Amino acid sequence: MIRNFLEWLKQPMGRIAVLIAALSFLSLVAFGIFYTQQSPEQPIQFTHQRHIGFGIQCLYCHPGALRGPSPGLPTQTKCWGCHQQMQITNTSPKLAVLVNYVKNNKPIEWVPVSQVPDFVHFTHRPHVAAGLNCEECHGDMSVVEIAENPQVMNMGWCLNCHRERAGDDQEKLIKLTDCGTCHY
Amino acid sequence: MSNLNIDLNRVGAKGALAEEADGKWGMVIDQDVCTGCQACVAACAMENNIPFVMEEDAAYGRTLHWIRIERFWEGEYPEVRTTPYQPMLCQQCGSAPCEPVCPVFASVHSQAQELNLQVYNRCIGTRYCANNCPYQVRTFNWRDYAIEPFHANDFDGQLVFPLHNQFNPDVTVRRRGIMEKCTFCIQRIHKAEDKAKSEGRAVEDGEFTTACAQACPTNAITFGLLDDSESLVSQLANHKHGYRHLEEMNTLPRITYLQEG
Repeated sequence: MIRNFLEWLKQPMGRIAVLIAALSFLSLVAFGIFYTQQSPEQPIQFTHQRHIGFGIQCLYCHPGALRGPSPGLPTQTKCWGCHQQMQITNTSPKLAVLVNYVKNNKPIEWVPVSQVPDFVHFTHRPHVAAGLNCEECHGDMSVVEIAENPQVMNMGWCLNCHRERAGDDQEKLIKLTDCGTCHY
Repeated sequence: MSNLNIDLNRVGAKGALAEEADGKWGMVIDQDVCTGCQACVAACAMENNIPFVMEEDAAYGRTLHWIRIERFWEGEYPEVRTTPYQPMLCQQCGSAPCEPVCPVFASVHSQAQELNLQVYNRCIGTRYCANNCPYQVRTFNWRDYAIEPFHANDFDGQLVFPLHNQFNPDVTVRRRGIMEKCTFCIQRIHKAEDKAKSEGRAVEDGEFTTACAQACPTNAITFGLLDDSESLVSQLANHKHGYRHLEEMNTLPRITYLQEG
């Protein structure tokens, strides 16, 4: 049975079958990689590029980064604070989604793009206090349309930076590479 | 690890560290004023997202408690008397028996906080640490209790978990097959340290306390900085009524129990 099958694989048809199987497997892998690297679909086609172009600071919409663990994603009322004064809000079809949220008093369900698992306890405050700018981890948002994550945020990436910044300071190195600093 | 200065005399099997000093964080439990009311047990469960295991698992002895009140009996019937209540929790040993037995280094010693850590994402559930713990304080998640349907209400065929609303966001919700234990409320330690650092000072004694100490109605539990000789906890730790559990095993526990007589 198996010998017959191996014999058939040596025939031209068998070789073509092997080729087709290999090609379909490779294309599945390629699609999988492509699919998982896409930034998620957001409820509003928000362009970071344009808003940063107007000179709005990161911390205006994500103020929690300065003090707490989570930077926060803006609510519809925060958007409306500026947008109600603008003519384009009523005319643009893209902004009709926002108007809809505000009129119905519904929260905008943003999809966070930079997330760590439950067992990692990341706090923005010490990182901002250490002099890190937003773009050093989140990439230059002024060239990004829909928010995307430029980094693979895994533990090696965290520890690389921690080791670099600790330098020769033993006490700092122990603190920054301690398991209990992030995992509890 | 190559650039860390490690004193080889203090390193035991597989790199477990033993501390000579008193340690950083400590606790004193006064057994004479403990009434065994279990408020600490409840407070700990609320603070640290410890689930209820329900009757069936509890009957197997799979209860999840990071702190429990132990009670023993003395004498022969009918002259039986109970010993003082004894809250038992992880002693945060300086030389912990649970650490060297872990094959994946999930049970490690924190050099920065001088605590025994349980790294949930490393743990593979061999349960060697629980078997080697002389205080029997490590508990194991036999199920995914957080998503077990017996915790849910059925709303039109949809499962709603009301208890998920009281989860502490600062603590991991543990999944099935991993070990857990008292952390000395490390999330509160981090919060206090973070606050102190943002104000440019060191953490003061009494600035924060653990959930069990906070809930204790008789103030039997005192938590604080052990390396500060002025602190209440380090003064109480040297009290003449103080003793430590299984001290003869040289585990260097961080918790001192006070009991007269």
